Amino acid sequence: MIFATINPYVFAPPLVVAISLVYAASRHESWPRIWSHAARLSGSILGMLLLAMAVLLLINSQL
Amino acid sequence: MTATKATVPLKNRRLAALLAWLVPGLGHFYQGRTGKGVLYAVCILGLYFVGMVLGDWQVVLWRWINPLRDAENFRFSYLCQFFVGLPALLALIQETLHYYDIPPILGGFMSVPLNLEQQDAFNSLSSKLAKLPEIGSVYTMMAGLLNILAIYDALEGPAQAEEDQCANGGGAVADLKAEKLDEGKS
Repeated sequence: MIFATINPYVFAPPLVVAISLVYAASRHESWPRIWSHAARLSGSILGMLLLAMAVLLLINSQL
Repeated sequence: MTATKATVPLKNRRLAALLAWLVPGLGHFYQGRTGKGVLYAVCILGLYFVGMVLGDWQVVLWRWINPLRDAENFRFSYLCQFFVGLPALLALIQETLHYYDIPPILGGFMSVPLNLEQQDAFNSLSSKLAKLPEIGSVYTMMAGLLNILAIYDALEGPAQAEEDQCANGGGAVADLKAEKLDEGKS
């Protein structure tokens, strides 16, 4: 299976984008607001994920 | 009725919610909210089917067992996947048929492994596909959970529609109020 050769982390961004779009669409009816909310939310979630990963890597490297 | 409900065409909201559960986006198509219907369908069904492919079509399964007696074999993930609607309903049908000793339909697609050979193939899935079945499970579960948001949107309308209307100058809300005033005068 071709997917088995892909790095599993590649599957995180599409999931984050889908979650952000659906959440934003459930909050607003106007498209500009949906897009901007989804973009902000995607950025926040990815930022938090990266931050958590950096902290965990830092702790791990100190052990 | 609030401005949110009045300015977003919800039609028969319970029917819309049912349609939104059956097929993600269908409730919004029924309400005439085509763009949102497309967005929900693409995001939710996309996540669900990519998850199914990643899990080799074996991540959405249901078992009629008591979780208090056999928690290990209970499919907690299906409680989330159930909300994707029709695409996940086949697993429930297959297991119900199995429960009543009726042969599975569609060649046993989405049914739990019935014999030892199928059980071995199912157990070897994780070693064969590394982390993919796990990711597939997460994708399909998230699809179900996101469809709950879509169902709620079909039932109640968007949470911040009033703020959207205010940001757009309150045109539609103002029009609605004017219409009501006119009705009152006449």
